[in-house]
Amino acid sequence: MSTGRDISFFFNPQSIAIVGASPRPGKPSQVIMENLKRIGYPGAVYLVNPNYASINGVRCYRSLSEIEAVIDVAIFVLPAPLVMTVLERAKNVRGAIIVSAGFKETGSAGTALEDELSALGARKGIRIIGPNCMGIYDAVSRIDTFFTPEERVKRPTRGGVSVLTQSGSFAELIMVELVSQDIGVARIVSYGNRVDVGESDCLEFLTNDAATSVVVIYMESVDDGKRFVEVASRCTRKKPVVVVKVGKREAGIHAARSHTGAISGRYEIYKAAFKKAGIIEVNGYEGLKDAIKVLNTYELVAGKRVLIVTDGGGVGVNIADACEDLGLEVRELSEETRKRLSTRLIGFSSTGNPIDLTGSAIDSDYVNALEEGLKDTFDLVIVTVLWGAPKITEKLVDALKAVRDRHNVPLLICTLSSEFSRRIAARFAEHGMPVFFTPESVARAAAVLAAGKRYARS
Amino acid sequence: MNKEDAKRLVREAVAEGRHMLLEPEAKALVAAWGISVPKYLWIKAPEDVRVKAEELSPPFVLKVISPDIVHKRDVGGVILGLQDTEEVRTAVHEMTRDLRRSAPEAQIAGFLLVEMVPPGIELIVGGLRDPQFGPAVMFGTGGIAVELLKDVSFRLAPVSREEAFAMMQEVKSYPLLTGFRGSRPVDVEQLASAVVALSDILLSLDEIREIEVNPLIVSESGAVAVDARVVLDSAYTAPGRSIERVSAAKA
Repeated sequence: MSTGRDISFFFNPQSIAIVGASPRPGKPSQVIMENLKRIGYPGAVYLVNPNYASINGVRCYRSLSEIEAVIDVAIFVLPAPLVMTVLERAKNVRGAIIVSAGFKETGSAGTALEDELSALGARKGIRIIGPNCMGIYDAVSRIDTFFTPEERVKRPTRGGVSVLTQSGSFAELIMVELVSQDIGVARIVSYGNRVDVGESDCLEFLTNDAATSVVVIYMESVDDGKRFVEVASRCTRKKPVVVVKVGKREAGIHAARSHTGAISGRYEIYKAAFKKAGIIEVNGYEGLKDAIKVLNTYELVAGKRVLIVTDGGGVGVNIADACEDLGLEVRELSEETRKRLSTRLIGFSSTGNPIDLTGSAIDSDYVNALEEGLKDTFDLVIVTVLWGAPKITEKLVDALKAVRDRHNVPLLICTLSSEFSRRIAARFAEHGMPVFFTPESVARAAAVLAAGKRYARS
Repeated sequence: MNKEDAKRLVREAVAEGRHMLLEPEAKALVAAWGISVPKYLWIKAPEDVRVKAEELSPPFVLKVISPDIVHKRDVGGVILGLQDTEEVRTAVHEMTRDLRRSAPEAQIAGFLLVEMVPPGIELIVGGLRDPQFGPAVMFGTGGIAVELLKDVSFRLAPVSREEAFAMMQEVKSYPLLTGFRGSRPVDVEQLASAVVALSDILLSLDEIREIEVNPLIVSESGAVAVDARVVLDSAYTAPGRSIERVSAAKA
């Protein structure tokens, strides 16, 4: 049953089989059964285990071939050697998600088994996700093959972020983060040892997936370098692709005979590949959090010019420094703009960039500063609302939204993490303005918006 | 030498089971792709030394040519500032004597007599073939401290002129190129051409595993490849396969 490279059936299956189904609470297969029920998977679910006639009143098949239907996705929750036996006999399966561990990660015997698995899948035309993986969490088609109970790792709502990862633990880390940020997801794929389906196939699918607006990749290694660059180049012309590359210390050419060979670790080449494809690379988990938050709200911008408006001089300068370190331009305002600002703002404000409104600021100062400042050309705006200025009010939220909408410019908020400002932060977020709690994180987010639209993408 | 001749040269070297090109061969290769190299004579035997003014003008540099010597300076394989035939002859004798001591095992394929290049900014352009992503090109601050400074930028081939300029802007020494503290700006167009040339060489010749011009000395009057190194793909030097490939390429 050959499907070629198209793996879209994994994300829109008419039928799912759980091979190794069990009624025992806490068993991975039982958790998966519960999760499919909880998320409301609308297709047919078949249980397979020769040791049971039925589980909780649902018929249990002795084997996959006993099911008189094509199985789009068979989830394998069996000891590794048994996976081979069952897959060998399967006749009606298009795709397999092999949750089971016990392959390459365990050593040479496991590696041999994994090679056999790879060959078996290719021979039978069955596409494989895994082994040693969590599989798919899909909020669009309502699929959840993660074997972690929902009360331990809450699942995100439906939204536009899709995540591709080799690591299952990373998948869960990001899930928890997305839930706490109230950011929704489309598809999350954890492919573990990646014997077949990897980032290139998934990215190809996500490129044309209307439900996905942002792609996030956690990468230890690439599945097929040249194809990945090709597929990603197409994807980044449609939507932002963000990558976190780990394992940066991997050595390059062993015993190189040139300086070029000696100087280039594998990571340098990965970086070059990301640039070629127009992928936005972020540094580590913190960088990724900021990127997702900002890309969930705003489109990429074409330039790098940032206007900063602050009610605290120190924080403003800190943001300006962080922005410049990341390659953004914090340009001075023009002479005319400065003149106009000095007549519209109170006497001791600073009319540079950052525009410092000081602790005496009132709501209208923010509006005036932005209206005048944006007469010079800027690509994005960072506003700090530190709530140390006693006269500013909660009405500022609506006022800032109005300015942003009038000028159609991404506006990022930096605030304190006090209880009061967290409450206001929630209001900013409701109005579609992402809020950051440190100068560095707001600068990282700004850099992400400014990093993507390059010549490679135009 | 044109590009076709250069390709033949590389394929013949592979067929002979060699791992690297000799310096004059590597220079001929990059020159075929439009990178300037200083004028040189290949002295195959010490008694051949006869420098004609119309061929080469002083001062000269004498360099040993050997497939076994990677770092020529370290073994006394480079002598600078020679003015005439007499000085060159003496230098060849001294170098031969010194090398017998410092690199007794090395096979000597002759000596390279090169016109000295006026001082300028030392850069490096290089390239390598990555097993996953294919050919990649590097640009950076050159000279002997390359590996210490690591002031370089990479791109995957094919590298466009636009990307070449972006690579230049990514290295810390970029301000030196555009005119720093009163110095004249260098010929960045020629630098971009050199980067694009290496990208094109790697795409044209699968047999090359690593290639490097270091230093590429650049000034307002242009960019000159003072040294070049080409490492051939050892996979092609396996017996049988290389011959098959070469004959296929010739056919």
